[in-house]
Amino acid sequence: MKYLLLSFTILINFSILSQNNSIAAGERLIFNASYNISGILTDIAQVKMETSEVRTSKNVLLRLKCTATTFKKWDNFFKIRDLYESYVSPKTLTPYLYKRDISEGGYYKFMQYKYNHKQNIIQSLKKKKRKDGSIWDENKSIKIGPSSKDLIATLYHIRNLDIHKASPGDQQDFKIIFDNKEQTISLKYLGKETISTNIGSKSCYKLSVSIKGTDVLKGKNDNLLWLTADQNKIPVYAKFKIPVGNGELKIISASGLKYN
Amino acid sequence: MKKTFIILGFATALISVVLAVTPLSNLAIFPIIIAVICGLILFYISKKEASKIKTIQYIFLLVIIALSLTIYKSIVNTQEIGDIEQLEQREEENLEDSKELLEDIEIDENL
Repeated sequence: MKYLLLSFTILINFSILSQNNSIAAGERLIFNASYNISGILTDIAQVKMETSEVRTSKNVLLRLKCTATTFKKWDNFFKIRDLYESYVSPKTLTPYLYKRDISEGGYYKFMQYKYNHKQNIIQSLKKKKRKDGSIWDENKSIKIGPSSKDLIATLYHIRNLDIHKASPGDQQDFKIIFDNKEQTISLKYLGKETISTNIGSKSCYKLSVSIKGTDVLKGKNDNLLWLTADQNKIPVYAKFKIPVGNGELKIISASGLKYN
Repeated sequence: MKKTFIILGFATALISVVLAVTPLSNLAIFPIIIAVICGLILFYISKKEASKIKTIQYIFLLVIIALSLTIYKSIVNTQEIGDIEQLEQREEENLEDSKELLEDIEIDENL
């Protein structure tokens, strides 16, 4: 009986935890991405995070779309037009389809994952441009963990965590699939901090992000993310350090939030 | 000594003008500072030696041009994004393709 009760409590907790409480369709967040060039932070691109409802004949899904576009003055040097999207369940944020369509200074790549949660596999499709301009593709079936998600779904999933219940120093690992490989992202809650942003002064949850087993993100506690300490938990500021330098992501505007 | 400052001042003044014209105009501030320092040192030397150094005028002229361009660009330049027509087209194509791919999925709310 004791075990039955325990299992029941865990199941209830799990279902409560997995419910989407922070993200609504119609949300639009705009950021400025700046990169440190010889000690001076220079704005290089605009990053947009948008959500919208997508209807099929049987289901309604939430489309999580992120785009990155370089500012006009940089286009002649290094033109970036990136599109990342994940189609998730609006109730649980479980991903069903992920697409990454990137065009960076002449380099083009397309990645698509179609999830099969029953068998814990993804059908991956990769398209790349050859030097002569023709496109080749590669289909693969990849075994993933039951909780593995793509980058965009993970980002929104982090926003849906009950961070208010965490204590400074608490850490949680997430499995993400990137470039057909499963990687572990470690998220550490550092505490609350009030920061000044373009949308006003905000009390935020300060989180440290690291990727285990790779050196994509450099340093210890150098990759930080600030989420508003309210029900929306929107990312307002991020700092990152990569092998070729460091930069920042600052919020410019936020609209269509679930809670006003 | 005087020659070193003339070469350094003139070279940094030229670099600052070149940088001020490019999107990296923010970086022009470093050579501007070096060129101004060199110009002032040369001015001090010329006063001390009671001689005229014409290069000082050129250095300051280039510095003024670079500084004006940098200030103008930082005030006037708005963060404008370029042509996104192709990106919007890709977004639309991906959405239509995704709808087809998602047609056969079954959403499990217990996941």
